[in-house]
Amino acid sequence: MSPASVEIKTLKIDGRDVGAREDQTILEVALENGIYIPTLCHLEGLTEIGACRICLVEVKGTPKLLPACVTRVQEGMEVMVNSERLQNYRKVIVELLFSERNHICSVCVSNGHCDLQSMAQKLGITHISVPYRHPHMPVDASHERYINDHNRCILCTRCVRVCHEIEGAHTWDVTGRGSQAKVITDLNTAWGESDTCTSCGKCVQVCPTGALSEKGKSVSEMSKRRQFLPYLTLMREGRP
Amino acid sequence: MQKITIEPVTRIEGHAKITLHVDDSGNVQDARFHVTQVRGFEKICEGRPFTEMPALMARICGICPVSHLIASAKACDAILAVRIPETAQKLRRIMNLAQIVQSHALSFFHLSSPDLLLGMESDPAKRNILGVLAANPQMARDGIRLRQFGQQIIECLGGKRIHPGWIVPGGVSEPLTQERRDQIMAMLPEALAISHRTLTWFKSQIESFRKEIRTFANFPTLFMGLANEEGELALYKGWIRFIDAEGNIIADHINGPEYQNYIGECGEPDSYLKSTYYKPMGYPEGIYRVGPLARLNLCKRIGTPRADEEFAEFRELERHTVLSSFYYHYARLIEILFAVERIDQLLHDPEILSKHVRAFAGPNNYEGVGGSEAPRGTLIHHYKIDENGLITSANLVIATGHNNLAINKGVLQVAKHFVKGAKLQEGMLNRVEAVVRAFDPCLSCSTHALGQMAMHIELRGPDGALLDALGRN
Amino acid sequence: MSKVKVATVWLDGCSGCHMSLLDIDERLIALAEKIDLLYGPLVDAKVFPEWVDVTLVEGAVSSEEDLAKIRKIRAHTKILISLGDCAVTGNVPSMRDVFTVDEVLNRTYVENSDLKQLAPESVVPKLLNKVRPVHEFVNVDIFVPGCPPSADNIFYVLSELLEGRMPDLAMTARFGA
Repeated sequence: MSPASVEIKTLKIDGRDVGAREDQTILEVALENGIYIPTLCHLEGLTEIGACRICLVEVKGTPKLLPACVTRVQEGMEVMVNSERLQNYRKVIVELLFSERNHICSVCVSNGHCDLQSMAQKLGITHISVPYRHPHMPVDASHERYINDHNRCILCTRCVRVCHEIEGAHTWDVTGRGSQAKVITDLNTAWGESDTCTSCGKCVQVCPTGALSEKGKSVSEMSKRRQFLPYLTLMREGRP
Repeated sequence: MQKITIEPVTRIEGHAKITLHVDDSGNVQDARFHVTQVRGFEKICEGRPFTEMPALMARICGICPVSHLIASAKACDAILAVRIPETAQKLRRIMNLAQIVQSHALSFFHLSSPDLLLGMESDPAKRNILGVLAANPQMARDGIRLRQFGQQIIECLGGKRIHPGWIVPGGVSEPLTQERRDQIMAMLPEALAISHRTLTWFKSQIESFRKEIRTFANFPTLFMGLANEEGELALYKGWIRFIDAEGNIIADHINGPEYQNYIGECGEPDSYLKSTYYKPMGYPEGIYRVGPLARLNLCKRIGTPRADEEFAEFRELERHTVLSSFYYHYARLIEILFAVERIDQLLHDPEILSKHVRAFAGPNNYEGVGGSEAPRGTLIHHYKIDENGLITSANLVIATGHNNLAINKGVLQVAKHFVKGAKLQEGMLNRVEAVVRAFDPCLSCSTHALGQMAMHIELRGPDGALLDALGRN
Repeated sequence: MSKVKVATVWLDGCSGCHMSLLDIDERLIALAEKIDLLYGPLVDAKVFPEWVDVTLVEGAVSSEEDLAKIRKIRAHTKILISLGDCAVTGNVPSMRDVFTVDEVLNRTYVENSDLKQLAPESVVPKLLNKVRPVHEFVNVDIFVPGCPPSADNIFYVLSELLEGRMPDLAMTARFGA
């Protein structure tokens, strides 16, 4: 795209005047200007889907809360990213995520390296105020190198996107609705029997929690390597 | 028939209650020790990856998590079918010994010294570690320091005092740095001095506990524990050995899944703690004891110079084996001394700082058994996995289960001796509890009860002026 | 100045939180001058006192006895503290929630026994169908997450309370730490 065709918008985020290209999202602009908006399903290098709703912000003149990751900037927008109201909504969202499945942090492979766990801490959550559901979720360890533990999954779909957009295999998908939703490989077959999986491990590295992990890792040992992602995106875009 | 309930049994590691059945003339007819909680670890691990087991199973117990880490990791080593690096084994040994020190210190100073120092019949409101602090500050401080010593070593190695994840299938996750080694070494002289001081004090007190020695689970039983090739005390690695009350070895070199041929497990209708028994003799004749007393009864030597001197003196107490469970305390103190000496030896090992501390492999066996000596006795973890490495079944044989039959019999013995007539006296009941404390049971899963005693409750307003400032009610 | 009355309680947990309390080491000696430890696994009282200022609760609620106990304790306590992940989240004990009580008892007492293969039923308290955190049953004033919470965090909470302040752990404690 040629620079001439891009319009520049000016807006306010938390009272600060900022400039942005018209095709940018509130989240992008905030990040560029060093303004922190919490996120979970967002990961630089993957398309935004607004799934987790942690990045909800307030926009003056709109009664609804808008997800910063998929909301485009507009001229004269006044955005609040850190109000008490937002903090409360974010806390409830994270609490619901914790209550939905079985996140036993103390014995999780990703204990100490988990985006959900650290998000709870950042938001000052010291307990979950909604009742735990504790559903019986399976663990798929059929893959030679990786484990899929549905107990720890928060349905951010980073795995689905990285597999489709970056690796190009589209092994992952989502089945079911609401509380029945879960990520699946191929047509809901065991991961180890997948014909499409290239065993590249990108899904494991982008997973925010201990849901996808490398086999052989003990508790707390699964820290994820994500530096490769912006690089891969860059390389792909650079290609003719 | 009258029933007396002691509930909760206090100053033990776990929660339990005791019922005494008294006949019309006031004599105790029967005594039962009940463990009142179960968490079902043998079930909750089902379907989980086996690599999660050490850290998960450590959550069985916050006092001896290291024992569970070790037994579990050894069972996983067997599943991987690897020989872990020598240095990893030595580092695991150090952590195990450190835990023996802290756990024994807790048992002796924090839980039992109030009985020993203040007296079995002293004021229950003061009969605790804070009471010891008031009566003999040196002893309380020694206890706190010695426990701290053990906990600090665990932290130096594993990064965390309770539930460190450092012991993993295949070895340990991080090598020891020179700085940390020197840090531990600097702590050793004080720990050694405390061990000596306490042993000397305890030996000077033995005479005044003749009555307790005679009645605290003092009867012939078998003893079980690990011993190494030379028949020395083995806490990390060895083979299961059984001896009889005369000290004759009746089974030896029991290894891996073989334990099932010797150790039977029996449910008890009124307790969440199962009893184990020596299978060839059946239930309940196959009663045996484990833990410090058993270990010192069945080994030939301890293996470090000062502890061996003390061991020789200990074995002079009786002709064959030392039978009174009161002497668990004595054996515990000797083991503390041994642990401090052995940690010193291991830290001087030229290989101890080696960076090669982990072996990697996938699961090569569908089944693994791991055993080690926990502070309270032999601990066995036994796992089976499916072809993907998920647990299909687990069996855990815990130290206190081995002692359950002996604890029950001991409670009856001491109750028969001290509890007489319709009138209950505090000192009597405390002795009944003290015999349980001597075994240092780690029930690791228990609750406190408010008690069945009539309780007249008057709610009154908050009186602590200091806390009023919080404005909560 | 009268001493602050403190109780500690152990429900369905591993005692690690109590051990972490002891891990404040020699600071315990100074603390002993300001508090009266009236009830708990470390002292000898058999009956919960009629009134305490602070109760530290370790462990989740997993049996009928736990439930009765925590309700009683709440009624006799000014400030109730959920100490550690089991009390705060259910943690490892709640992993049994995906099974039925019968399945759990069967594994331990039937499949893994050689003799008297029956689940205990007399004297022992009945297990609840689900293991739950303390605050699902009674009001909790302070939450101290961690498995176990660090000795420093526990000491901080007690020190703040002794100074008449409400401790704020929001940024220092995390689940599973």
